[in-house]
Amino acid sequence: MMHGALAPSDYLVIAPVAICLLFGAALLMMRKRIDWQPWLAIPGFLLLFAADVLLLLKVAAEGPQTMMMGNWKPPFGIAFTVDMLGALFVTTAGFVGVASAIYATFSMSRTERRYGFFPFMFLMMGGVSGAFLTGDIFNLYVWFEVLLMGSFGLLILGSEREQLDGATKYCFLNLVATTLFLITTGYLYGVVGTLNMADIAQKAARLENDGAVLTIAVLYLVAFGMKAAAFPLNFWLPASYHTPRFVVSALFAGLLTKVGVYALIRVLLMLFPPQHADLATLISWVAALTMLVGAFGALAQSDMRRLLNYFVIAGIGTIFAGLALTGGEGGASATVSAASAATQAGGTAPMTGMAAAAAPLVPGSDSLVIGLSGAVFYALHSIVIMTALYLAAGTAARISGSSSLRAMGGLWRARPGLAALMLVFLFAVSGLPPFSGFWPKVILVRGAFQAGMPWLGAVILLTGFLMTVASARVFALAFWRNAPEPAVAGGPNAGFAPAGEPSPMLAMLPLLILAVFAVVAGVLPQWLVALTDVAARGIVDPAGYVGSVFGGVS
Amino acid sequence: MAEIEATTGGILALALPFVAAALAPILKRIIGAHAAWVLALAPAAAFAILFSFLPEVSSGGVVQFGFDWIPAFDVRFSFRIDGLASTFGLLITGIGTLIILYSGGYLKGHRDQGRFFSFMLMFMGSMLGLVLADDLMTLFVYWELTSITSFLLIGFDHEREKARRGAIQALAITGGGGLALLAGFILIRELAGLNSMTEVLAAGDALRTSPYYLPIFILVLCGAFTKSAQMPFHVWLPNAMEAPTPVSAYLHSATMVKAGVYLLLRMQPALGDTALWTTVLPAFGAVTLVMGALLAVRATDIKITLAYTTVSSLGLLVMLIGVSTEYALIGAVLYLIAHSLFKGGLFMVAGSVDHGAHTREIDRLGGLARHMPITFAAALLCALSMGGITPFVGFLAKEEIYHALEYGDAYHIALMAAAILGNALMFAAAFIVALKPFVGKLPETIDHPHEGGFTIWFGPLVLGVLGLLGALFYETYHALFSGPMASATYGQPVEIDISFVPHLNLAFALSLATIALGIVIYLASNGVRAATSRFLASVGWGPDHGFDQAMRGLLRFSYFVTNRLQSGRLDYYMTITVIAITAALFVPMILGGALPAEPQMPQLRLPEWLVLALILVGIVAVVVAKNRLTAIVSLGIQGFGTALIFMLLGAPDLSFTQFMVETLSVVILALVMTRLKLSPADHRPLREKLPDAALALAGGAGFAVFLLSIVQRPFDPALSDFFEEYSYAIAHGKNIVNVILVDFRGVDTMGEIAVVMTTGLAVLALIRIRVGRRAKAQPDPMETTP
Amino acid sequence: MRTVIFRFTAPYLTALMVLFSIFVLLRGHNDPGGGFIGGLIAASALAIYGIACGVAAVRRALWFHPMAISASGLFLAVVAGIFSVFAGTGFMTGLWVFPKIFGTEVALSTPLIFDIGVYLVVVGGIASIALALEERESD
Repeated sequence: MMHGALAPSDYLVIAPVAICLLFGAALLMMRKRIDWQPWLAIPGFLLLFAADVLLLLKVAAEGPQTMMMGNWKPPFGIAFTVDMLGALFVTTAGFVGVASAIYATFSMSRTERRYGFFPFMFLMMGGVSGAFLTGDIFNLYVWFEVLLMGSFGLLILGSEREQLDGATKYCFLNLVATTLFLITTGYLYGVVGTLNMADIAQKAARLENDGAVLTIAVLYLVAFGMKAAAFPLNFWLPASYHTPRFVVSALFAGLLTKVGVYALIRVLLMLFPPQHADLATLISWVAALTMLVGAFGALAQSDMRRLLNYFVIAGIGTIFAGLALTGGEGGASATVSAASAATQAGGTAPMTGMAAAAAPLVPGSDSLVIGLSGAVFYALHSIVIMTALYLAAGTAARISGSSSLRAMGGLWRARPGLAALMLVFLFAVSGLPPFSGFWPKVILVRGAFQAGMPWLGAVILLTGFLMTVASARVFALAFWRNAPEPAVAGGPNAGFAPAGEPSPMLAMLPLLILAVFAVVAGVLPQWLVALTDVAARGIVDPAGYVGSVFGGVS
Repeated sequence: MAEIEATTGGILALALPFVAAALAPILKRIIGAHAAWVLALAPAAAFAILFSFLPEVSSGGVVQFGFDWIPAFDVRFSFRIDGLASTFGLLITGIGTLIILYSGGYLKGHRDQGRFFSFMLMFMGSMLGLVLADDLMTLFVYWELTSITSFLLIGFDHEREKARRGAIQALAITGGGGLALLAGFILIRELAGLNSMTEVLAAGDALRTSPYYLPIFILVLCGAFTKSAQMPFHVWLPNAMEAPTPVSAYLHSATMVKAGVYLLLRMQPALGDTALWTTVLPAFGAVTLVMGALLAVRATDIKITLAYTTVSSLGLLVMLIGVSTEYALIGAVLYLIAHSLFKGGLFMVAGSVDHGAHTREIDRLGGLARHMPITFAAALLCALSMGGITPFVGFLAKEEIYHALEYGDAYHIALMAAAILGNALMFAAAFIVALKPFVGKLPETIDHPHEGGFTIWFGPLVLGVLGLLGALFYETYHALFSGPMASATYGQPVEIDISFVPHLNLAFALSLATIALGIVIYLASNGVRAATSRFLASVGWGPDHGFDQAMRGLLRFSYFVTNRLQSGRLDYYMTITVIAITAALFVPMILGGALPAEPQMPQLRLPEWLVLALILVGIVAVVVAKNRLTAIVSLGIQGFGTALIFMLLGAPDLSFTQFMVETLSVVILALVMTRLKLSPADHRPLREKLPDAALALAGGAGFAVFLLSIVQRPFDPALSDFFEEYSYAIAHGKNIVNVILVDFRGVDTMGEIAVVMTTGLAVLALIRIRVGRRAKAQPDPMETTP
Repeated sequence: MRTVIFRFTAPYLTALMVLFSIFVLLRGHNDPGGGFIGGLIAASALAIYGIACGVAAVRRALWFHPMAISASGLFLAVVAGIFSVFAGTGFMTGLWVFPKIFGTEVALSTPLIFDIGVYLVVVGGIASIALALEERESD
């Protein structure tokens, strides 16, 4: 009605979701054809990734894209609106989806495929993609539900006792978060009378000092913070992520928490900027504690997978640190937060004093944009690297017959290729150069200094240090040390490599693909920085987003 | 033109070691240990390229090249070759060439030799990048690369626990210091606006007078001190001796440990010569110098002895840089070059001795001179330089150092005393390593001592001879190497005229005194060793022990915190969650003034009152229910009440759906409950139930109060109006609910049916796979076995 | 439960309920009803049939696995949305045709196809759960 006839390329906006649901449904229809499943699933994920990349290119070239579902004019119909932020997240998700699908082909048992591994995975990816692409807050909730159910299905495949225990905690706590999201959306609808996010952004801007809007913002912070596993609502993650199959853990660790982060950025930063500024101090504390809980938790673990669980949390803390920074250029909120940081920093008085004076020193830069850009970069890095780490840990555990650091060993000699890749991922997750984790950390520390929160920068670096120590420990024990003794009678390979086992080189392929990102984003980060910068600016000033929904007129 | 050549040449020099590193494993596989000859060409070529810049650099010029790396943050991949970088670069590539050859012989037949070459060359490339880098971020990336590659090198003998510990320790200390340095660099970049070393050096007093001087100073020092092994961060260095000897020779002579010294020299013109600088650096340096030398004499393993003398030498260098005067810096530069030559040589000698006699214990060595004459010659050449005897470069350095410290005030006297004591101890240590194993009687424990091959003795001999030539041709030496380096360090051109010919002055007298003291210590070395050991044993605690304690403490703290937080109990998690949600409701509501006005008594019809009563009954029944099954059914009553409300409000679709959903959930929940075999009821005493009840009430009240507050606001009915208006007109449906479901908000429904389908599949999987598993009897240890 | 009368009447009851569910589905656009409720009714019908005559009989009668039916519903629903590509309008735009079949104007539309998809998903999903649970009880 509003828009003229659409070109085929316009359908890219909905394509990722449609592809996931169609493939998920189709694979479920031919559930019994177990051997066909991977050969349909892998092309499906490749198609999804291709659509994601094309969408990213389109957004990069033409700016935010909107398609109104059912052709109903905004804000009445559901809008799918893709800006750079959504496009980057969805593309990265598609990327790890491809890698995980290939990996799953070699690692999932027939029973698990029969009970719908690939359909679950497609549905979860559909939920994830939908969440990244939708421009309607209730629809966002729907995609949250889709991905929650998909992930629940993946979580229980195998039905071991420990798994069910983890799944119960996962399900209960996530349901609480999702329900809170729904209730809060109800409140929000009561206040602004609309569900379209571009519309909400405009209407909420007129309600700056409204206590109800502040309450809604805090409720969203709690709901999405819980989804993202931010302290003190992170319990469900270490309780459940180590229980399913490695490839499932990998997908979860890469994607699910990041959907929470994405939603938080989209809702808190884009829809409620003044409320976000009020909450910045709170978020900075959450960020710092999440980072430390993650880093210390990782040090406390003696099982590789549990350790990785805590790496996920530390990463979430780092991302939150980027969301805690408020505008550095003069704005009232910035001075407030700098002052409050000064009171908190206490011991580091000279640093704080200096940083408070920092804003005028660097003209033309806005720590809000820097922080957000760093957070997005870090989130994308974390999606890829956490997936890669779990997949690599899975292969390592397959070879050693255990994922306990006490039982693993000798992999440096047995599998140098795997060891080298693992080392790349461990250094990347610790934020060491020249890998993908380094630059976002630099950006975030830089932003923290500029925003007058040097203590937050210090916590980011301290976390990096602790993670480096934890990583070195993992590597020394599981890879360098000789295997303590064969974990299973008949040597560490017993029970493995049954006849027809596909070549391990092929199983290394997904790791290799992911490592390419770790290195390219570390050595040549400019393209990615440019993209995340566009994404951050699009959130801080959503004019392009709003314009894409309502057209140039309104 | 010249600039383009500089770029090509410079980038080539920087890339060559990495290219060689990539090729090393393949080459090793094809031509075995001879790969060393081919691989050594890479650092040799880099050396030649750097040498070609020498005419320009030695005349005070600066070669610069690079390109934009991350324009978004003004990060450039840029390099700057001045006197300091040039001399460092030549040492790195020159000694690197010899080391690669040496490794070819030393690790001949080792199964991981290819890997070793690879790590070594990567380290070389990182170190070269570090000293040539101009942009601060470029420098830092190379800085961390040296930490990473040295981690791999120290842990090379990865099957031994000590090697692993040494590697982790080195990574933790130097990596941790690196993070402090990163913070310092970011401060310099963001707050002082200086992006590169060129800018830092051109900024004059900008950093010294800036309000951020103190934090920048502390952070840069943290980086430099950890890397350059100043007390108490020195512990990683002796432990790094677990690496194969070529690594020790390389890392602890020209490179890794000098990175911190390099940084201090590099930033001296911008950060140095403040009260803080001239106090802190000499203090740390002097303590490190004396302690390092004492520990060196105490050690019985000649490699460990050398390691501690390295610590000691680094202390001396830091002390001199801290003094910040022209003479002190000249002394530092001269000593640094001399140290690189003789220490590299001595480490290789230690390796040769190990290789030839199969032990490094000083007590079990002796009389090797006859069997290993070339090694002995090389050892003596290096030791003479280290001992500061003319005509060797070590002599030039020591003269200059004493010259720099010969002032009458307490500050200089104290430092002079430290320098003399430290030098004397190092003199003794030098000859313990270079003389003792070769003279006296050959112990019977040594079986067939033999000279290693050409590659093994070639390196130390070249370095020993270079130490001699540098002093003999001191004018060329000063003109090409030490002079430009000192000028770059001091920030303005300096003249060095020190020669190998001794002049009768105070410095020479002190030099003689040092040697005399050194000889005494050498002769009494057994006594000194015993005394030091006794003293250290009486202290009982050292930084190395402290590192272990810190690590253990860190782990214990982690366990404690994590176990506290992650108790594994769902009820605890839920409690925290509900507290968070309740706080999120009330705190902003009260602070933001969003509390509702006192509500009016609602005007309801009788059926509505009845339904409300039904819901209340249901809720009360849930709470008082004796067992869980009753509670679930009672929960259903509440749900049916809600369905009735929908009915009363004229939405039969919703009402009916709600009915069906409630029924199904009750049935499924009941089935799941019976299957989970939970205890049928909550048996906790009231005392434990009450807090939960209070929390639940508070949370519920929060939602209710906020809802009241929301419904008291004017509502914008645009959406519902639109749906009513267009449901039939455009969407051809009179049933608005259905039109919303399948058309207006069809995509929501699409998601929801996906949820329904997934739930169905998940429940099926949950029920079925267990049946399947029971049939599959054998245990399945692997999580992912196909 | 499995009384003779019940077993005898259940097939007829089921058939009636399924017919009714289709009726509810089709009239949904203008009167109370629709795919969701229709699906629930049909699923209940199958559950009753299962209780009366055993799960195996239901599975035979259905021919396809309930989950496959459910999946086909989702597939159909998404395809209904994709139809709008041919019209060049936004995803899931309602497209209507009003052909005359035997002289009566019949309203065919993509929302109707979508609603049928909803119906199938609900029938399949709920029936799958119900049958699986019934099977377990009889183990």
